[in-house]
Amino acid sequence: MSNIHSSGLKARSSLLTRILTLPIRHVQQAIGSLGNLWRTPFTTVMTIFVLGVSLALPATLHLFVKNAQQVSEKWDSAAQITLFLKLSTSEKSTQNLIKRISLYNEVAEVRYISAEQALKEFKILSGFGQSLEYLETNPLPATLLVTPTQRASQAQAANALLAKLNKEREVDQGKLDLEWLTRLDAIARLIEDIVLGVALLLCLSVVLIVGNTIRLAILNEKDAIAIMKLVGATDSFIQRPFLYSGIWYGIFGGILSCIAVTLLAWYLGYAISDLTALYQSNFQLQGLTGSEALMLIAFAVVLSLLGSYISVSQHIKAIEPNAD
Amino acid sequence: MINFNKVNKTYPGGFLALKQVSFSLASGEMAFLTGHSGAGKSTLLKLISLMEKPSSGSIQVNHTELADIKYKQVPYVRRGIGMIFQSHNLLKDRTVFDNVALPLIIEGVSHKEIKKRVATALDKVHLAAKLKCYPHMLSGGEQQRVGIARAIVNKPPILLADEPTGNLDPKLSLDIIRLFEEFNAAGVTVLIATHDLGLIARMKYRTLTLKEGTMINDGIVDGLQVQGGS
Repeated sequence: MSNIHSSGLKARSSLLTRILTLPIRHVQQAIGSLGNLWRTPFTTVMTIFVLGVSLALPATLHLFVKNAQQVSEKWDSAAQITLFLKLSTSEKSTQNLIKRISLYNEVAEVRYISAEQALKEFKILSGFGQSLEYLETNPLPATLLVTPTQRASQAQAANALLAKLNKEREVDQGKLDLEWLTRLDAIARLIEDIVLGVALLLCLSVVLIVGNTIRLAILNEKDAIAIMKLVGATDSFIQRPFLYSGIWYGIFGGILSCIAVTLLAWYLGYAISDLTALYQSNFQLQGLTGSEALMLIAFAVVLSLLGSYISVSQHIKAIEPNAD
Repeated sequence: MINFNKVNKTYPGGFLALKQVSFSLASGEMAFLTGHSGAGKSTLLKLISLMEKPSSGSIQVNHTELADIKYKQVPYVRRGIGMIFQSHNLLKDRTVFDNVALPLIIEGVSHKEIKKRVATALDKVHLAAKLKCYPHMLSGGEQQRVGIARAIVNKPPILLADEPTGNLDPKLSLDIIRLFEEFNAAGVTVLIATHDLGLIARMKYRTLTLKEGTMINDGIVDGLQVQGGS
């Protein structure tokens, strides 16, 4: 009885030891796999470079889309509706109209430009100042500049607001030049789709590259794997170092792609700043943020781990020990 | 401990390696398995260590029917069987210590315990001084003893040896067999496949003789005669 009891205790303490040593074994295997990569520097560096470049391309395209979206958002918010009022509209009716329009949910701001102010600005901007002096009456109507809210700035909503404003009896004509904005939106969407397609292809290539590298490493260790199986190693025990290799490839490939994208953004940033300065804009190219860089590295790790997992689950099971 | 009942093994291509083989090996018993090359000795050991599956018949090891064992359970069964090979099967890029420690690392034994048990196993095979050597730095006999140390380090109840003295001179061969005797005396069941009839005759243990896949004798070899053959 006491033997059974003591053997039960021994088994429990053995299980406890195994559970406690599990994280240590993982750390040992992770470091061991790093050592394996170190022992094949050429293959390792080449694989990391291929991964880094493959991930840098979609990351750069993402940066491009991100910056384009920022510019597009600024233009979106600048979208305005110009309402030309009938010449017969009195000052009192105009003020009433401004009050009514200001109460619209879709309207953020209404700015009034009187007919006199419009003529004054036209004189200055057109360069016909002297000639315009000869006009007997002011031909320009009073104008309202209506700025829609953020939600009403999109093409469809802005058009609906324009139709609503056109129904006001004091309004002669309303204008909203949305075509260029629609085109810009369409181009941005197209670029986003292209980026997504290219990114998917490049991510697939990352999975395949890591999978193939791990496959070659497995074949290189075929005899050792067979011996391990002979002495009772489970597939998961044998797989672990290869999976850790995949993780290391992902980490280093991800870091390399972050560096590449940051350098590229820094290099292009100057050229773009010089160009936009010519158009009186102080546009600054946005690089990868800290969280985006971390996400890129995490994404690289996930892809590499997926590639190595596919490879190990295919090839390690196929290797069987032989007593010869 | 090991029980074969009408076991047949046919390899792909139709080669019949074992025909209706039946025998039992009790717990703590030591026996030789002999026969010419191609007689089926290695196939029989491979069946016990789950490297091959029988085409028909039943194999029980420690009351467990091997045919019922699922793929994921195979490693755990193998941990209870120490395997020794003629070709040593050592990991070339690892030291003697690492090679012997491998089954313990796989089992998740603590580092302190591994150091202790590897030292004991290497001491038993008289290789305590070669701890940090790589296999290529050792002689054939020493490599074989490293293989034996690895096979016994996790104290398996069964030891299978496939031509363990194949490349060794007679004195070294005898030393190796004496080691197996020591393990057997400690309660380990030992089955040694060899075609060295001189060695078998000298040791006077139960001998299973295979010829073209058929068990033709089961008894003690005296001189080159078989006594009490079944």
